[in-house]
Amino acid sequence: MKQFFYRSRQTAVGAVLLALIVLLIIPGIARAKLKSTIGGMFLPAIGVSSVGNNVLGVLSSKSLNPVQDEIIDQALDSDLKLENIHLRAENLRLRAAADWGLRVPWRTKLAQVIGRDSFNWWRRVKLNLGSQHGIRSNQPLVSIEGYLVGRITEVGLKTSWAVLLGDPNCRFSALIKSSRQQGGIVSPRRFNSNYRIVELTYLPNDIEVRPGNLVVTSGLGGAFPKEIPVGQVEDSWLSRDGLYLEAKVKIHADLNRLEEVRILTEY
Amino acid sequence: MTFRISKMLLLLIGAYFLTFIQSYWHWPRLLLGFQPDLTPAFLVFVGMTMGAGYVSSMALATGLWLDSLSANPFGISVFPLFFVGWVVFCVREKIMTREFMAQIYLGIIASLIVFLFQLILLRMFSANPMIGWEMVFWSLLNAFFCGLFVPLFTLSHKAFGRWFSHPSYEPNKWLDNNRQIVRGKD
Repeated sequence: MKQFFYRSRQTAVGAVLLALIVLLIIPGIARAKLKSTIGGMFLPAIGVSSVGNNVLGVLSSKSLNPVQDEIIDQALDSDLKLENIHLRAENLRLRAAADWGLRVPWRTKLAQVIGRDSFNWWRRVKLNLGSQHGIRSNQPLVSIEGYLVGRITEVGLKTSWAVLLGDPNCRFSALIKSSRQQGGIVSPRRFNSNYRIVELTYLPNDIEVRPGNLVVTSGLGGAFPKEIPVGQVEDSWLSRDGLYLEAKVKIHADLNRLEEVRILTEY
Repeated sequence: MTFRISKMLLLLIGAYFLTFIQSYWHWPRLLLGFQPDLTPAFLVFVGMTMGAGYVSSMALATGLWLDSLSANPFGISVFPLFFVGWVVFCVREKIMTREFMAQIYLGIIASLIVFLFQLILLRMFSANPMIGWEMVFWSLLNAFFCGLFVPLFTLSHKAFGRWFSHPSYEPNKWLDNNRQIVRGKD
């Protein structure tokens, strides 16, 4: 019995080590496929979760208690006023979004954010569209209002992962709209819990960068189309070696509260 | 289905939902500013109460599931989780694992060890995660949550045991102690 106990211990350690060694030696493509397959195990849970949310939404709109109905009727007037204000705001937001859709020459697809990276040191979101819906790697992502959000990095059959602005893997060329000076958007050097802060670096050191200056994509490198609004400058400073300017940029899109995004499919 | 398999199945389902919730429930991030990671607490619980096979299976499943929902290199979370689960499993006879406070301390220490291990491994694999002092503060807060969840997991395990398994047979125990004839000199 004692021998078996030690043997089972050895088997347990051996199994984990073997799995880790196999993961290390298999080619990158196979590892990526395995990762995608294991990630796909959560699709049923996502489906159940979204159905549950819908059912809860329907149930919460219906009341079973008549006394509660009466109280609700009394409060309805003020609620309706509040709802009216919310609907007006939403209407304005959607109109702006529709206007944006009409103004730009790109084709977009609306996607829902269904998950986020499990770890706090990455800024990634999972979207409900995949290769089945014509989504490809590196397609840019903009918010409903048309502000830059990130780009697609991994595409599965039904879902895809997108890296958000501020993630170490999301670097691109941007320019200050007024002076047309180019720099590069990078993640903040020090971790910042504020999802809306990124850094604009490698700006020429002889220009003036003021708080409030608008930052847009430059179109260089082909990662993003030109002139997509990114954010505005909050602060600027000279780099340690004095060779270039750096600026703190507050991005327009609220990445922490993203629910829907547009994927630029043709641009 | 034997009890052993069903126990394994229950644990796997628990690990599955734990990783799912961490990725798909967004409100903790909005409320706290970060996403708590309770998997170290889960592995401490498994190490305290289950066998070696359970520890390795749970570390593998939870680590791979976590990494599949993250930009981490695939499999990087397996070793830190296995390490804490295994250490707790090996020393559980020597420490007061039944004590509430001991469980809390174990959860806190395990969470910090997993965090450090993950960062070291990420650096080794040339990944560049965002790190700063704020992240250290969050890891401490996360350790506190992990500490709280270890006794919670243990209590829920006991509750499951009570609900779904037969009471243990003790031949010398009477159902009603008042009806027992006490024999003795007095």
